[in-house]
Amino acid sequence: MPSTPLNEPIIHAANLTRVYPLGDGSVVGINQVNLNVAPGELVVLKGNSGSGKSTLLSLLAGLDRPTSGDLSVAGNNLSNSHGMDLTRFRREVVGMVFQSFNLLPTLNVLENVSLPALLADKDAEETRRKALELLDWLGLKNRRDHHPDQLSGGEMQRTAIARALINDPALILADEPTGNLDSRNGMTVIDLLGQLNRTFKRTVVIATHSDLADALATRHIRIRDGAITDPSCDG
Amino acid sequence: MFFLRLFRWFSLRNLRTHWGRALVVLLGIALGAAVFTSVRLAVHASLSSFVRSMDFFAGTAQKVLVRPGGYLPEGVLPVLLGHPAVKDFSPLLTTYVRRSDVPGDSFLMIGIDPLLDQAFRKWRISGDRDQATERWLDLIREPYTLILTEPLARELQIASGARLKLDHTRNSAEFRVAGILMPEGLALVEGGRVALTDIATFQEFTGLYGLLDRIDLTFKPKATPQDIEDLARKLPAELELRSPSAARDSGTAMIRAYQLNLSVLSFASLFVGMFLVYSLVALNVAARRRELAVLRSLGASPRTLFMLFLCEGMLFGAGGWMLAIPLSSLLVKYLLHGVSQTISTLFVRVQVEGLVLSPLEIAISLGVTLLTAAGAALQPAREAMGVPPKEAMEISQAGVRRGHSVRRLALWALGCILAGIPLSLLPGVAGVPLPGYLAILLLFIGFALLSPWMLERLGQRLAPLLRRYAGIPAYLAGRYLRDCGARTAISVGALITAVALFTALVVMIHSFRHTVELWVRQTVSGDLFVTTKMGQVNRFRFAIPETIVAGLKQMDVGADYVQSRRYQMNYGDFPYEFEAMGMETFLSHGGFVWLKGDPQETRLRLTQGEGVLISEVFATRTGLGIGDVFRTQIEGSSIELPVVGIIRDYRTDGGVVFYSWKHFKERFHDPQWSGVRFFFKDRASEVGGRVSALRNAIIQRWGDALDMVSGKDLRESVLRIFDETFAITTVLLLIALAVAALGITTTLTVMVLERSRQLSTLYAVGGSFRQIRAMIFWEASFLVAAGEVAGLACGFILSYLLVYVINRQSFGWTFLYVVDWGALAFSLPLIILTALAAAVPAVRMVFRAPPAALLRER
Ligand SMILES: Nc1ncnc2c1ncn2[C@@H]1O[C@H](COP(=O)(O)OP(=O)(O)OP(=O)(O)O)[C@@H](O)[C@H]1O
Ligand SMILES: [Mg+2]
Repeated sequence: MPSTPLNEPIIHAANLTRVYPLGDGSVVGINQVNLNVAPGELVVLKGNSGSGKSTLLSLLAGLDRPTSGDLSVAGNNLSNSHGMDLTRFRREVVGMVFQSFNLLPTLNVLENVSLPALLADKDAEETRRKALELLDWLGLKNRRDHHPDQLSGGEMQRTAIARALINDPALILADEPTGNLDSRNGMTVIDLLGQLNRTFKRTVVIATHSDLADALATRHIRIRDGAITDPSCDG
Repeated sequence: MFFLRLFRWFSLRNLRTHWGRALVVLLGIALGAAVFTSVRLAVHASLSSFVRSMDFFAGTAQKVLVRPGGYLPEGVLPVLLGHPAVKDFSPLLTTYVRRSDVPGDSFLMIGIDPLLDQAFRKWRISGDRDQATERWLDLIREPYTLILTEPLARELQIASGARLKLDHTRNSAEFRVAGILMPEGLALVEGGRVALTDIATFQEFTGLYGLLDRIDLTFKPKATPQDIEDLARKLPAELELRSPSAARDSGTAMIRAYQLNLSVLSFASLFVGMFLVYSLVALNVAARRRELAVLRSLGASPRTLFMLFLCEGMLFGAGGWMLAIPLSSLLVKYLLHGVSQTISTLFVRVQVEGLVLSPLEIAISLGVTLLTAAGAALQPAREAMGVPPKEAMEISQAGVRRGHSVRRLALWALGCILAGIPLSLLPGVAGVPLPGYLAILLLFIGFALLSPWMLERLGQRLAPLLRRYAGIPAYLAGRYLRDCGARTAISVGALITAVALFTALVVMIHSFRHTVELWVRQTVSGDLFVTTKMGQVNRFRFAIPETIVAGLKQMDVGADYVQSRRYQMNYGDFPYEFEAMGMETFLSHGGFVWLKGDPQETRLRLTQGEGVLISEVFATRTGLGIGDVFRTQIEGSSIELPVVGIIRDYRTDGGVVFYSWKHFKERFHDPQWSGVRFFFKDRASEVGGRVSALRNAIIQRWGDALDMVSGKDLRESVLRIFDETFAITTVLLLIALAVAALGITTTLTVMVLERSRQLSTLYAVGGSFRQIRAMIFWEASFLVAAGEVAGLACGFILSYLLVYVINRQSFGWTFLYVVDWGALAFSLPLIILTALAAAVPAVRMVFRAPPAALLRER
C-alpha cells in the first residue's frame, strides 16, 4: 500500500551522475539518474551486480559526492555540501545498514548501538536509555554486553539496525542487508525494516538481489548500467 | 622451484603493492644493520692492527726474559750464551721518540742487535741485495744511524741518507737515515710508525748503558722443560721468563671485551628493528588469513605457509643489510677514529692504518641481521601455519580478535623479568658479562610482553574518565588499545626498548661522569704536573735525572710537592700500575674516592706505610680484598704488604696499587721520580698565574727536558676524553631511538590501514574527520605514554645492571649511582614529541580509501 505522499519528496535527484576515474578512462557508477522519493516510502532497489545500487546509496548517505547533477535529501543539498555539513547530515538524517554489518569489534553491543549518538555529542545517560530501549525492542537486551564476535549473523544485523536508529533518522538506507544471512534471519531483518516503515513512518531504501522485501515495498526501482530503467514502476 | 614462484606471487607482489610500509621496515633494519656492521668493523680494524703489530713484534720467540718494573742487566747474556737449552737470543729495547726540529707525533724506536735479531723478526732494507746488507751493517758500524719505514720517512719528509734530529726523554741527537725498511714484518708494527737502530746506539742515546727491556729466546728442539727450568734457576731470581704472547693475549682480550660491549649496544638498534619486521609480517599474516586459508584449501602445506612468511622476514633482513652497505661505509669512517682513540686511551695503544674488510666480520653482520629478521618473523610465520583451510568458507568479521591471553603474557613477562635477577648475580665468562647481557635481554622481552597487559589496564581504567573528560575519540582510542592486545605490544615494545636504553645510558653515563669528576678532583689533584720529556707516551719508565730532582726540591715557590714513581707491572696476566707517591703531602691536599675501608683509619695506615691501597679494578681482577697480602717484585725487591683499603680509580687499564713513597724507599728500594706534582699552599689568591710562573721558571732552568701540564688542563683533558668516548654511545643511542620512531610510524600506519573499514564505519555513522583523526592521535598518545612509562621503569632497572653488573664484569669498575634528572626531564618530552610526530603519517593516511568503499563487499 503506497502511503500518502507528502508534498515535498524526501529524496530528490536530478541528472545525478557518479563517474569513477580509473587509470586513463573512467567507470560509470550511475548515470543521469532522476528520482523522487516521498517520505514514508519503502523503496526496493534492484539490479544486476555492478549496476550502480551501492553507488546510489553511498550518494544518498552522504558518504560520497556526485560527479554532476543535483541531489537533495530531507532538504539538505548534498551536491555541494562539505565537511561538517555532511557529518551533521549523516548524524541526523540517515541511518545505514550494511551487508557485512560493520560493527566495531572492540565495542560491545550496547556501545556499538550508542556510538552514533555519542559521536554526535548527545547526552550519555539519555543515549544509554534509548539504546537499551532499542535493544529491548529488537530482542537483544541480554546480549548488550557481548562483543560482535560472540553474536550470530542475525544478531549482528539487528544490532546494526539499532545503531542505525539511535539518532532517529528520517531515512534508512540498507545495502544488501540480508546478503550475509540465512533466509530465516533475512526475513526477520526485512520484517524489522518493514515495521520501521509502517509503524514508525521512516523512509526506507533497500538495495537487494533477493525477493524477500518485495512484498513490503511501496515502490520498486530497477537500475541497469547506472541508469534507472522504470522509475515509476509500482510493486 | 614452485615455492619460489609462490613466494613471488604471494609475498613479493603484496610487498610491492604496500611498498611504503616495506620501505620503512627496510630502512629500520638497514639502520640497525649499519650500526652493527660498522661498529664491529671499526673495532675489528683496531683489533687486527693491534694483533698484527704484536705478532710482528713478538716474532718467533718462545720465551721472553724480563725484569718486572725495570730493566735487565746485559750481564745475563753470558748465562744465555753458555746454556745448552738456548738456541738463539736477541736483546731488545724500545721507546717513543719524536723529531725535535719539526713538531709531530712520537713514534716507536726499536733497538736491536741486527745480527742476533735475524733469527727472530722479519725485516729487510729495500734496494738490491748487496746494497741492503751494506746498509744494515752500517747500523752496527756507524753510531747514530737508523732505518725507517717508508710511511714514516714520508711523514717526516726525510730520504735515505739524510739526517734528522730526534728527541728522547733524556737526550736529543742527530741520526743518519741508513735505509728504508721493506713493508713487511717489523716494519708493520704500530701501523708502520717505527724506526730501527743498533742497540748500542739506542743505549747511548737513552742513557740506558748496559740495560735491556727484554731478551727474546728460542730453545733447541731437544730442550726439555727441565732444561728450561734449569735455565730459570741459573738466572737472577728477580728475572721472569714470560710467554711472548702474554701482552698480546691480554690486550686482545680487552679489545674483544670492548668489541662485545659495543656490539651489544649496537645490536640494540637491530633489536628495535626486529620489532618492525615482526609487526609487518604479523600484519601480513593477520590481514591475509583468508588468502592463507584459500591457499591451504588449494593444497598448500602448513610448512609452505610457514616458509613463505619466514622468507618474507629473511627478505627484509637481506634487503635491509644491503641497504645498510652505503650507510655503514659512511658510519664506519666516523667510528674508526673514535673507536681506536678509545681503545688507545682505555686499553692498549693501537695505530689503525685503515679499514680491514674482514670476511668473517661481514659474514657475522649478515648472519646476525638475517637471523634477527628471521627470528622476528618466526612467531607470525607459525601463526600462518596454523590457519585452518575451513576459514576460507567463513564470513569473517574483519578486525581484531579480542585479546584473551593478555594475562598469561603478563605472567610470562614477570617470569622473564624475575629470571634476570639470579642471572645478573652470576659471574662473567672470561671477562665477558654474558649472564648480565642475558638478564638484559630477558628484561626487554619481559617489558615488551608486559605492555599488552598495561595497555589493557590503561584502557580499562581510563575509559570512563576519558569519555567524560576527553571526549568520545579518546574513549574509542582507549577501547581499541585495550582490546587489540599483543599487536600494538610490538611497537610499544620497540619504544620501551629504546626509551629504556636511553634512560639507562643517561643514568649510567651521568653516574660515570659524576664519579670520574669526583676522582679527577680528588685523585688527579695538583696545580702543576711535571714528568720527563715524553714521559706519558713512554709510560713513565724513565725517571727524572737526579740533578733535576735536586733542583725541583729546592724550588721555593710556596708550593708543596708530591713525588711519585710509577711502575708498569703484571699481576699474573693482569697488567697494572704500582705507584709509590708522597702519601702524606698528597693526602693533605688531595685524596682518594674511597670504596672500602674506613677512610680515617686507612689514611693513617697509608701514611705510616703499613699497607697498600688498591683500586677497585685491581681488587675485582685479582680477587684481593682488605687484609689480604699483596706480593710483587719490583726492580729486584720483593714486596709483601697488606691491602688496607680499596678506592675508585679510572685511569688507563684501571688497575693501580698505591704505596707511600717514603716507606717504599725506606723498606724496599730507593725509587727515582717518574714525576712530581706541585700544590700551591696559599689557595686564597689566584693560582693560574703562579702556575705559569713556576712553569716558566722550570723551562728557564732545564729547557725542554721536562713535560708539564697544569692540573686544570690535565683534569679537563681527562673529562674531554671521557666525553669523546661516550660520544659513540650517544650516536648509537640516537639511531636506536630513530628506529623506534620508525616502529611507531609503521604500527600506527598499519593500525590505520588495516582498520580502514572500521574508520569508514565510524564516518558513516556520523563521525567527523576531526573525531577520527583525534582518535588515531589519542591511540598514538597512549602507545607513546605506555612505552615511555614502561621504558622508564625498565631503564632504571637496566641502569642498575649496567653500573653494577656489566661495567663491573667487563671493566672491573663501578661508580656512584646518580640520576641525571635534568637530562631526563629535558629529553623524555623530546622523545614523546618525536614519537607523536612519528604518528603524523598514520593520521594523514586516514581515508586514503574513500569511506564509500564501505559499501563494496570484498
Ligand atoms: N570506487 C570505485 N572505483 C571504481 N569503480 C567503482 C568504484 N565503486 C564502484 N565502481 C564501479 O561502479 C559500478 C557500479 O558499482 P556498484 O558497487 O554501485 O554496483 P552494485 O549494483 O552495488 O553491485 P553489487 O550488486 O555487486 O553490489 C561498477 O561497475 C563498479 O565496478
Ligand atoms: Mg553493491
